Amino acid sequence: MPAGRSPAIVSRRRFLAASAVAALLPPAARAGAPLPIFDAHIHFSHDAAERFSAGEAVAILEKAGLKRALVSSSGDAGTRALYAAAPGLVLPSLRPYRRRGEIRSWVDDPSAVDFLEDRLRRFRWVAVGEFHLFASQTGKAVPRRMIELARQHNLLLHAHSDAGAVDGIFAQWPEARVLWAHAGFVGPDVVGPMLGKHPNLWTDLAFRSEHAHEGRVEDDWRSLFAAYPDRVTVGTDTFTPERWHYVADHADWTREWLADLPSGLAEKIAWRNGEAMIRPHLANLRK
Amino acid sequence: MTLRRSGAAAVRLPALAIATGLISGIAAPAPASDFTAGEERRILRHGPWPPALRPDPSNRASGKPAAIAFGRALFFDPRLSVSGAVSCASCHPPDRAWTDGLPRSRGQRTVDRNAPALFNLRFNRWFGWDGAQDSLWAQNLRPLLDGREMGIGPGGAARLVRSDRELSCGYRRAFGDAPGADDERVFVDLGKALAAFLETRVTGRTPFDDFRDALALGDAAGQARYPAAARRGLRLFVGRGNCAFCHFGPAFTNGEFADAGVPHFIEPGRVDPGRLGGIRKLRRSPYTLLGRFNDDAGRSTAASTRHVRLRQSNFGEFRVPGLRNAALTRPYMHAGSLATLADVVHHYSTIDEERLHAGGERILRRLDLSAREQADLVAFLETLTETAPRHESVGKSADALCR
Repeated sequence: MPAGRSPAIVSRRRFLAASAVAALLPPAARAGAPLPIFDAHIHFSHDAAERFSAGEAVAILEKAGLKRALVSSSGDAGTRALYAAAPGLVLPSLRPYRRRGEIRSWVDDPSAVDFLEDRLRRFRWVAVGEFHLFASQTGKAVPRRMIELARQHNLLLHAHSDAGAVDGIFAQWPEARVLWAHAGFVGPDVVGPMLGKHPNLWTDLAFRSEHAHEGRVEDDWRSLFAAYPDRVTVGTDTFTPERWHYVADHADWTREWLADLPSGLAEKIAWRNGEAMIRPHLANLRK
Repeated sequence: MTLRRSGAAAVRLPALAIATGLISGIAAPAPASDFTAGEERRILRHGPWPPALRPDPSNRASGKPAAIAFGRALFFDPRLSVSGAVSCASCHPPDRAWTDGLPRSRGQRTVDRNAPALFNLRFNRWFGWDGAQDSLWAQNLRPLLDGREMGIGPGGAARLVRSDRELSCGYRRAFGDAPGADDERVFVDLGKALAAFLETRVTGRTPFDDFRDALALGDAAGQARYPAAARRGLRLFVGRGNCAFCHFGPAFTNGEFADAGVPHFIEPGRVDPGRLGGIRKLRRSPYTLLGRFNDDAGRSTAASTRHVRLRQSNFGEFRVPGLRNAALTRPYMHAGSLATLADVVHHYSTIDEERLHAGGERILRRLDLSAREQADLVAFLETLTETAPRHESVGKSADALCR
């Protein structure tokens, strides 16, 4: 980056240039086999595991045409069971939550660290998260220790966070690799500069709807995707057991709006970006 | 709102109420107004009641006495079901507050959802728990199309009306012409006649309305008649409970949809998608305000339908019901999963926040109400029950229509 030029200015120029290029590219082909999907936001928490066996859950993911799924759960048993049932499909991620109800309390609960350390010692993981962490909490001992553990174990961080917390994670660990859940629930005007500022930041679009309507990608999001074609992923977010019945629906909806993008870009968002994001962490599973 | 209390009146009211209570011999009257100015503003938004009833521009039969009479006859006519045994009134009996008291209703077979009570419908924007219909007349067609409910369908319904002398006469009086050869047109007109009847079903005045109007007028004696427990419940409703965020306005609903943290499995392996499915059905339906059956030529009624957007959050959302007469319409929620008003209040008090998505604006929060607070909220909700219910006769038979 040239001296004296802010990351935001650079990313905005890059954003505009890429938008112009994107407008000239052909739309993704609609025919042929369904586009594979890397679903970066699946939970299989204890209440879902009470409803579905691991085999049934894997069948749902396969029927939806998922190539991979980054899976986490409140209580890690569900994730481990799913990984054991489909190691080629499931990418196990460790949440700092032992059961539902710890989304807000974990940052002040030292026993969450004990849980993480124990599970990291005993099992194999590619990521830590999805965890909920906000800017005012990044200085707390528990999340700092979690980030330190992620560094020690070469883990991707799946953060449900505001922009300030993402900045805080990179401030603690500049080489961190972070998947920003739900693209922070902010618009392209914030997501773009964040991606420009942090080269190791990816986003998932789970539980977001603003970027597409009736199969058409909105212009501001189209520009973002073109500016950062390697940094966007998709996800369902199965935060309730019922949403397991929405995985296939969501994959189809995703394919519908991806078909409005140039085919290369659509493939990247559908699965290639997820694969590239997770590749440096796959060695963890072979240890 | 044209009626407003002055701040000075608000200050004077407790003393006036006590005096009034003493004079009238009431042992322990509640203070007339211990509400803050902000609370009073929020309370006043729940009235006045009843609102003016205007004809529905999308329905040329709306407000016409002959159509209302025809709709009433149709409502009680079991011939509108394939079996000949199920009428609209089977699941919506007037003597049970226009609902059947079952968690999930049973027409010809058991359905997936609770039968909503049929009143104050004219004020809705969307119909059905999932909002799959955008008019009352279209909503009335749904059970006639669904084989689990009545299932007669356009052809069967049109044949019945054309072949039955009295129904045919009722149709002619309601719409000005004899039923034509277009089955679908006749079918939709039955929905419109039913709508003309049902939109007249407006709940009556309630103890809350009397209190609310007394508050607006600065009528201390009127306010003092409102029970203390209901008053405390009302404060929770418009305040800490934030119930009024969704249960807004005179009908106590914002008319939209929400995820209330209620499980929505229908049975193992099957879920009710709620609003997500509703929007998809709406877009596929020929019976919407965007279609050829809307009698509003200017389509001014169709704006909401034209602009509705599908969102990830729609999965598991259900329509926010109005709360008037809620005490009479148990069980509650889209599949009748909560038996009593106390259960509903307890649900919101102890809601599992992790069933609600943590992203975006968080409307629902665990309230952790005490037992007394929960009882107070129920006491308030019970004051939304009309004091002089209008009794509906079992309906004029079709053959009375043309005498």
